[in-house]
Amino acid sequence: MKVATLWSCALLSGLLLNSTRSIAQDIPIHLGSFSAKELPSAPADTTAPAEVLCDFGQSKIEGGMDGFVVRFDRITRVHILRRTGYEWATVKVPLYHRDGQQEKLQQLKGFTYNLVGGEWKKEPLKTDAVFSRKLTANVDEYAFTLPNVREGSVIEFSYAILSNFVFNLQDWQFQQEIPVRWSEYRTTVPSFFRYKEISRSYLPFAVNETTTPFYRTSYRSKTSDGHGGYSAGASDKVYNISTQAVARRWVLKDAPAFREEPFLTTPRDYLSRVDFELERIQFPDQEPQFVVGTWEQIEKNLLKDEEFGGFLERATPLTSGAAALATLHANDLPARADAVRTLVMQAVGYDGTNTLYAEHSAKKLLELRHGTAGEVNLLLVRTLRDAGLTANPLLLSTRAHGRIQTDLPVVSQFNYVVAHVTLPDGKELLLDATEPLLPFTLLPERCLNNQGRLLSTTGRWVPLTTTQTHLVYTAADFTLDARSTISGTIRQEYAGYAAPSARSTARESEHALRKQWQSTHPDWTVERADVAGTNELGKPLVVTFTTRLAGAEEAVATMYVRPLQHLGPGASPFRHDERLFPVDLPSSRRLEYSVKLHLPTGYSATSLPTSALINLPNDGGRFLYSVSQLSPETLQITARLALNKTQYSPNEYVALRELYARALAKMAEPLVLTKQTK
Amino acid sequence: MSLFFSKLQRVVLVAGVAFPSFALAGAGTPQYPVAALPSSLRENAHAVVRRQDESLAVKSVGRTVETTRRAVTVLDEAGSQWATEVVYYDKLNTITYFRGTVYDEAGRVVRQLRTADIHDISLSDGFSLATDARGRTADLRQPSYPYTVEFEYEVVSDNPLFYSTWRPQPAEQLAVEEATFRVLTPTSLPLRFQERHLPSDGALVRSKQGALDVFQWQVRNLAAIEDEADSPPVSELAPMVLTAPTEFEVEGYHGRLSSWQDLSKWTYDLNAGRDVLPPAIQAQMAALGRGEKDERARIRKVYEYLQANTRYISIQLGIGGWQTFPASSVAANGYGDCKALTNYCKALLQAAGVTSYAALVRAGSTAQDIRTDFPSSQFNHVVLCVPLTSTRPDTVWLECTDQTNPFGYMSSFTGNRHALLLLPQGGRLVATPRYGAAENRRERRADVHFDLQGNATASIRTRHTGLEFDAIAGLTGLAPSEQKKRLGDRLPLPSFTITKFSLTPDESGAVPVLTENLTLAVPALAPPNGKRVFITPNLLCRTSAPRATVGERRTDIWLSHAYTYTDTVRLHIPAGFRPEQLPAPVKLATPFGDYLSQVQVMPDGNILYIRRLLMPNTRFSRTDYPAYLDFRRRVSAADKAQVVLVKTEA
Repeated sequence: MKVATLWSCALLSGLLLNSTRSIAQDIPIHLGSFSAKELPSAPADTTAPAEVLCDFGQSKIEGGMDGFVVRFDRITRVHILRRTGYEWATVKVPLYHRDGQQEKLQQLKGFTYNLVGGEWKKEPLKTDAVFSRKLTANVDEYAFTLPNVREGSVIEFSYAILSNFVFNLQDWQFQQEIPVRWSEYRTTVPSFFRYKEISRSYLPFAVNETTTPFYRTSYRSKTSDGHGGYSAGASDKVYNISTQAVARRWVLKDAPAFREEPFLTTPRDYLSRVDFELERIQFPDQEPQFVVGTWEQIEKNLLKDEEFGGFLERATPLTSGAAALATLHANDLPARADAVRTLVMQAVGYDGTNTLYAEHSAKKLLELRHGTAGEVNLLLVRTLRDAGLTANPLLLSTRAHGRIQTDLPVVSQFNYVVAHVTLPDGKELLLDATEPLLPFTLLPERCLNNQGRLLSTTGRWVPLTTTQTHLVYTAADFTLDARSTISGTIRQEYAGYAAPSARSTARESEHALRKQWQSTHPDWTVERADVAGTNELGKPLVVTFTTRLAGAEEAVATMYVRPLQHLGPGASPFRHDERLFPVDLPSSRRLEYSVKLHLPTGYSATSLPTSALINLPNDGGRFLYSVSQLSPETLQITARLALNKTQYSPNEYVALRELYARALAKMAEPLVLTKQTK
Repeated sequence: MSLFFSKLQRVVLVAGVAFPSFALAGAGTPQYPVAALPSSLRENAHAVVRRQDESLAVKSVGRTVETTRRAVTVLDEAGSQWATEVVYYDKLNTITYFRGTVYDEAGRVVRQLRTADIHDISLSDGFSLATDARGRTADLRQPSYPYTVEFEYEVVSDNPLFYSTWRPQPAEQLAVEEATFRVLTPTSLPLRFQERHLPSDGALVRSKQGALDVFQWQVRNLAAIEDEADSPPVSELAPMVLTAPTEFEVEGYHGRLSSWQDLSKWTYDLNAGRDVLPPAIQAQMAALGRGEKDERARIRKVYEYLQANTRYISIQLGIGGWQTFPASSVAANGYGDCKALTNYCKALLQAAGVTSYAALVRAGSTAQDIRTDFPSSQFNHVVLCVPLTSTRPDTVWLECTDQTNPFGYMSSFTGNRHALLLLPQGGRLVATPRYGAAENRRERRADVHFDLQGNATASIRTRHTGLEFDAIAGLTGLAPSEQKKRLGDRLPLPSFTITKFSLTPDESGAVPVLTENLTLAVPALAPPNGKRVFITPNLLCRTSAPRATVGERRTDIWLSHAYTYTDTVRLHIPAGFRPEQLPAPVKLATPFGDYLSQVQVMPDGNILYIRRLLMPNTRFSRTDYPAYLDFRRRVSAADKAQVVLVKTEA
């Protein structure tokens, strides 16, 4: 995790003294006070493993020693309904620490309530059921579990997290994988601090309100001896601070259990939640410090950051190699960019971690020979520049990290960076050096997420939608014999976004693609398989199978042949009839078939499937099918299935599913061939 | 690293690995040049072990030192996993050093691993509430191939219950140029070992080094093993030397280990006296015992009490990996790990007047059985064995970590294998329940109604029993919308809509049964084509033949899952059609399995399809592969056979 620079301690003066206390909204839950009347008459969903009765959190900024602290309190009550819900009685809390500063877990308490002989019996959480361990260099995890949990138990727990990291106001997730009856979050932030908030929800908030209560806290500081140092034994000076605060309150009621669906970017894009980013600190009579303000400010901060802009400023061990490529590709600038990307990929591999920053120097990266996405691609930007190209970093959020909200300028929305190149003719290129199997014209699929932010002299948004499709084209030339055995060649081209995974399989071993195809098409006997284009990344990967599909034991007078059924996708990817969230695909998709069928001597087509054309509304997709008689002995079958969009709303889902169903049914229709009696 | 887990979790076995340190080659002396690799070792290989030296030095009854040096040439990206390393440690195992070097293709040193590049991680298994298992990791992956990495590390272990297992070729598509394994042990602490699949030149050389006995094994030029369909796991193909102590001491607990009886006694003693229940529960169980005369019913009631009042929580710290929490702790908290819950259940049963024994087992649905002829600590789980006295001679086996497990059912997690009974005088190996083709059944009855457009509605009732139950049992705990999705995901139909469904478990018998009822709408299942309609009556159980071997079959055939599938499908055909063509019956009786399929027209004009496939758990020589493939292809062909209906002339 990258952390914004901590604000330096400011001298406070002229603060308001005295204040009136605001009358706070009653909190919805008190620990240890559960009684039977608080239990709903029936669970919201009788089949749920457990149900959150109330989840209440609040974050407040308070004065502390030499600065402010964030205090987060949480009280949660869960009704365990079934044995499969027992896992909700174990809670894990990650705590961050860095540079001697840390988040501290305090006041952890909990109770289990069981109905025994008509009475609710209460048992406390014991401290010997609390464990901590070091998770990473900066994160410890505290885990605890409640005692005597059974079907019907009500459990509750509360804890506080005290943190010096004011930039990190705890986020809140309202929805869970089990139903939530009441989830409430409040924040109280004194006027010196301002946070940007990102809230998203497919469900309506029952409460979403802002108030501006008076605020009072005290702030302690070591006294200075007047000579620039601190005097030994000097007593702490206490400042009482009163000001106005911004208080926010959100409530989500009766949220059903969240369930994942296929073709989603990440559950985070669909779950109801709120996240924060520190935007501004301003103490009275002082200039404001903008931690985050505008996208321009973020860009400026990043370019000043040692691990981002600082990285781009320093020459790298690849600088001289880049200059040589500039000479080699003096006039063909795209070829130069391609060559630079190859140079970077050969020098430093991608370790699978997505980051925005470069923790290691270029020199260290070339020693390690692998790095994060941020490291590899910032090195790419710098090396493109060293080769004389106009290259800039483009920030983005990967699909798994969630969609960018452009109206909320917070740097934590990004987790990835690629290179943007502007050519003299105004054309633009987007380059990524993490995937050697992709041609330089394609970004990895994980990057295809809405839009990215370009950091150049004038920052702007650049769409990350691709014109490149996921295309599998199958051309077959089949000869049929009198026993209805099909033999011939199947030529498959994997192009665009279909190419990288096929190419990766092809490179695994000589037979890997053949094995893969045979496992999905077990009926065919493959006599040989030839792979072409394994290393020509700009071209489709082509596999040609010489195959046979056994027919009957002896000659048949009437045969029913379904060549496309044996080549096609088999099953619809849209299996479920219900859909709550939009379908989100990285790229458009096309499946195309062109089959030439040579009939056995003496046979002719007596019944052929009718042609079909099915269109989705708004040009969202189409299926096209036709059979034509090229000559008395030759038939030509053509089928094309295209999904033109990358997003389909839940309303469009029915038609999308239907398109696939009808396409599959059409492709399974037989061609009827009959032996002609002379 | 503790070795005890719950039924619910995947099993992680960690072999301690070992050591000697070699001075780095001086600059200019190429090491492991790739050009020196014989082409026979590159075939099918993503990586080649150039040289691996492992050693196990027994320092005392309570301490061993394991060292490893391993140089691997990575040939392509798929082999790059061998360029990363994780060295495990915990409270009882300490890493003394961990070094690494990268060589380029020519064998020149390009990088030395620095301390700052080694990361310390918690080895969270994802389910333990607490564990002291940690690892140090290093990543020496390079962006271009080939290259060679070398790792060297040493682990001092105060847990000599586990000695090293030497697996010089632990994975498929990994070749080995040279590997050695050396054990040094004082004559007073004799080594026990078992060799498996050692090539003829892998013979043991024994020698003396002062007061130490020295054992050394070596293998050379092992070609990469390629994955083949229905083949044994790599552990049954590659060389292996298992070792074990005759005497050991862990955290002050001394033990001898020359027989299963020894290991049983040590484990029993370690856990003895921890089964005292609080008086209230003691009395409750005693009353339960008095109230139920039937022994099996009494055991069931105790088991139901256990399931209703406890849950599985894993806490794995130090000797806690082998020693149970006392029964009083489970009674107070309502949770425990597999040892604690088994110990608790044993105490509950005792209070109810039933004697039972804990039994160690190597759990896991894909785990191989233990080596029964080599007594050593090969277990990762414990279950409860309850011999019945008053009824017919029988045994009830109890899985104590799962609140929803059917009574007396061992499932694919612990069934079909050996377990070590823990007895005060030392116990023996016994077999857990066997689940064969007679127990593992999937019986399906379907009624399919077609309309004139070829759309169908199908009502399908499927009984899953025995190990077939395992695959679908997890669905019963889910919400209906999720059940519907998962049931849909299991259906091999191109497109359909589930209109009704239910899942009904029955856990009263010796093996559990789950009945699945489905009603489906299947559009365009058999659209008419001119005058005709084509229907594949085998709607849901079409099998495909395994892929043909590319080249010669190298490994034996292992069919490790036994089952019987029966399908009865009634096709209700619309008025105006009559059968024109029916597939001929197919009956195959082979050593690999038995198959039957037949289609007949019923008096009411509807069509009845019957299919039965029985596959026993068997093993065959690789030379039988063509015959096996032929059998599977015939089954596959018969499964696809079609019924042709034709419009009656009206």
